[in-house]
Amino acid sequence: MPRRLPVLLLLLAAFVPAARGEGPSVRAGHVWIRQAPPGVSVLAGYFSIENLTDKPLTLTSVKSPDFGTVEMHESVSQGGTESMRQVGEVDIPALGSVEFKPGGYHVMLMQPKKNLFAGDMVSLTLAFSDGSELAILAPVRRDPPQR
Amino acid sequence: MKSKTLLAYAGLCILAIAGGLLAGYLTFHPRHPRPVTEAVLLHEAKPLPEFTLSDTAGQGFTRAALLGHWSLLYFGYTHCPDACPTTLSELDHMQGQLRGVPAADKPAVYFISVDPQRDDLALLRNYALYFNPAFIGATGNVESLKALTAPLGVDFSYDPADRKGDYGVNHSTFVVLVDPEAREVALFTPPLQPKRMAADYLAILKYYGENT
Ligand SMILES: [Cu+2]
Repeated sequence: MPRRLPVLLLLLAAFVPAARGEGPSVRAGHVWIRQAPPGVSVLAGYFSIENLTDKPLTLTSVKSPDFGTVEMHESVSQGGTESMRQVGEVDIPALGSVEFKPGGYHVMLMQPKKNLFAGDMVSLTLAFSDGSELAILAPVRRDPPQR
Repeated sequence: MKSKTLLAYAGLCILAIAGGLLAGYLTFHPRHPRPVTEAVLLHEAKPLPEFTLSDTAGQGFTRAALLGHWSLLYFGYTHCPDACPTTLSELDHMQGQLRGVPAADKPAVYFISVDPQRDDLALLRNYALYFNPAFIGATGNVESLKALTAPLGVDFSYDPADRKGDYGVNHSTFVVLVDPEAREVALFTPPLQPKRMAADYLAILKYYGENT
C-alpha cells in the first residue's frame, strides 16, 4: 500500500531528534499538514514538540522551502468566537511539551510553490532559542493521524 | 380491628398522594425526559426569522429551504486554515456515523460563508464538495447574512487586511442544529466529536419526535 510509505517516513522523521552538542534538545511528533481544499492556498501544519532538556526553550521560527511565507498562528476562542493571531515565538517548558493542533497553535503555510496533495511530504525546519534546529518531514493529509 | 381500618385508611391516603404527584408530574413534564447531551439543547426551540441567501444547490437559501428536514448550519470562510476545515471534516465524519440512518432523518449540512467578498458560489461549491458531496455552500451580502446570524447568536467580524490584501475573519465556531420546522434546537460546540455528535443528534431527534 503506497499510502503507508509517507507514514513510515513520518515516523522516522518525527523521532529524529535535533542533535547538537551534548544531545538532542527537542523531539517532534504527530506531524501533519492539512490538505487545502480546492481554491485555497493556505495550509495549516500541526505537530507536538517535546523539550528534552531541563531548561525552558522557545520555538522562534518555522521555515519551509516549499512555501513563500510561513508563520506561527494561534486560534483563540472567546465566547464561542474564534479568531487568529500571529505569534512570534512559542515557549516550551523544561521537560514539557507544546502541541500545535486544530483550534490552537498552528503553522500557517502560505504561497505554496507547487500544488500539494495528500501523501506529499513537506520539509519544515524549526529553530529554537538555544540555537538548535530541528528538520522534520510533514505529510500532507486529509485527516489528522491516529493518536 | 381498629388498626386494620387505620391501615386501610393510611394506604388509601398514600395512594391518593402518589396519584396526585403522578398527575402533577405528567402535567408539568413531557412524557419523555430531555436527553443528556454534550450538545447544548435549547430549553425551547427558537423559530428562525425570514432570510434570503444564495446556495450552491441552485435554489435560494431561505427559511423555507430548511422546512421538512433537519439541518446543521456552520458559519465560516474558505480562507480559514484551521477552524473551518477541521469542523467540516468532523461534520463529514459525523455523517459517516449516521450511515445506517434513513435518508429522511439525516441532517442537511450547510456551510455558510460570512466572507462574501472572497467567497463566491463557484468557490464555495468546490470547497463544500471536497468535504462531502452532499454539503451545501451558501452566502449573501453582509446585511442578508446578519438577518440569519444575529438571531442565532453567530458572530463574525473582519481583521484589517495585510499588505497583500489578506485578512482573517473572526467567526463563531459552534454548529447550529435546526429542526424540520426551521427552529434552532441545539448547538454543537468544539472540539466536535463526530461519534458523540451523531449520538446526540439521534437522541435529540427522538426527543423531538416523541414530544411533538
Ligand atoms: Cu492561521
